[in-house]
Amino acid sequence: MARGALKRILLVEDDPDIQTVAELALSAIGGFTVEVCGSGRDALDRAPGFHPDLVLLDVMMPGMDGPTALKALRQLPETSKTPVVFMTARAQPHEVAQYKQLGSLDVITKPFEPAELAATLRRIWDRYEE
Amino acid sequence: MKTTLEELTARYSRALQSYLEMGGEDALHQAYQVGRDALARDLGVLEVAALHQEALVSTLLQMLAPTESSRIAKKASEFFAETLAPFEMTHRGFQEANAILSDLNDELRRRVEVILRDYKVAQDQIDQHKKMERMKDEFISLVSHELRTPLTSIHASLGLLSSGLTTGLPEKARQLLEVAHRNSQRLVRLIGDVLDLQKIESGTMPFELRPVEIGPFLEQAIEANEAYGAQFGVSFVLNGVPPRIGIKADPDRLMQVITNLLSNAAKFSPSYRTVLVAAQRNAGVVRVTVTDRGPGIPEEFRARIFQRFAQADSSTTREKGGTGLGLNISKAIVERMGGHIGFETEVGVGTTFYVELPLTEQSPNGARA
Repeated sequence: MARGALKRILLVEDDPDIQTVAELALSAIGGFTVEVCGSGRDALDRAPGFHPDLVLLDVMMPGMDGPTALKALRQLPETSKTPVVFMTARAQPHEVAQYKQLGSLDVITKPFEPAELAATLRRIWDRYEE
Repeated sequence: MKTTLEELTARYSRALQSYLEMGGEDALHQAYQVGRDALARDLGVLEVAALHQEALVSTLLQMLAPTESSRIAKKASEFFAETLAPFEMTHRGFQEANAILSDLNDELRRRVEVILRDYKVAQDQIDQHKKMERMKDEFISLVSHELRTPLTSIHASLGLLSSGLTTGLPEKARQLLEVAHRNSQRLVRLIGDVLDLQKIESGTMPFELRPVEIGPFLEQAIEANEAYGAQFGVSFVLNGVPPRIGIKADPDRLMQVITNLLSNAAKFSPSYRTVLVAAQRNAGVVRVTVTDRGPGIPEEFRARIFQRFAQADSSTTREKGGTGLGLNISKAIVERMGGHIGFETEVGVGTTFYVELPLTEQSPNGARA
């Protein structure tokens, strides 16, 4: 199962401002290579070429929402096993449980602390690797 | 005399109700008997009519069948006529009774109409109130979630700047950035707390009660809050927990409560002092205590401490960064889990907050803390 260190993150988020800060937090603080997508559809188009180690996926997006995008990513051969972490402002314990049931590895709550975002993803990744 | 009338009214009411529900000769016979007893006790037709009216109104209310009222009233009139039969035999008050019956029907209709109108007004008020409550809940939920989107980018931008990502900022600018970042953090907590309150009040906060072993749970709570305590130079020490005792609680919600108590204790403790955390078993409950060596709670503030936005000193919110909702939420959560929250305090010595929750019968072997 060991895949090595977490390096490439596909960030899927419709809000341009959150895109900016999350990308900065992940690249400048975390040192990850980040590809930013503005919608679920966009993610499906770009994920196969980008080969992400992990997908950070917003839950509420217009058009194709996070859960639908997750199902669609599972259908693509390149991303059928790529771990997905949801990012959402709605993260009550029962909602988190629902997201995990859908196949999300973990859930990051918005608003997030930018300085901790990368470290949180690394912790999630390490747990997944184990 | 009063007893006689009350006793007759009770008998009459029971018989009338039985007649209205099932009909039958027995009930009519009872009506006749009530009439005879009334006559024997020298009651007039007017008094018997009043008795009938009381019984009928209370029966209508009990049956809560306002739309059926005229059918019921007609049937009740047959019944009443039977009660009056003994009076007719003596030829006493026969004509008087007819006049009274007619008045009685008018009066009855009036009373039922008034009651129905009041009932409808009350119903409308309840419906309106429920509708307003629902709208308020939806509004708070919507606004809070909508607020979180712009707040995420503001908070994260300020966080990135404060984390030293951009070097070479003048000292004054860095100070201002810190102010903005700290206050955006407060706004994040405030929105979270308002959402929690709304969920508790609307009954939509889910509670999953299960056995929780208190020792490992408190260790985990202390570990999770260590960094927060360190900001104030305060450390949390677990000071005595009986082994393998379990309580019945929702672990996520209990963690929220203990976190609130630990953060309050850290804020009000002098630096370089420890905050003691302990648990004792006591008559069917487990009491978890969090003890600080802070200034204690002023006498005049004690009664208000669990109220919303209650802080002993309004500068506390500014200095300590609290929302003023934490203890109010904690109290609601503990009570929803069938427990009790309280405190013991002495000015100049310190404060112990405690949470009591029901003990589980058996130790929750392997239960997640």
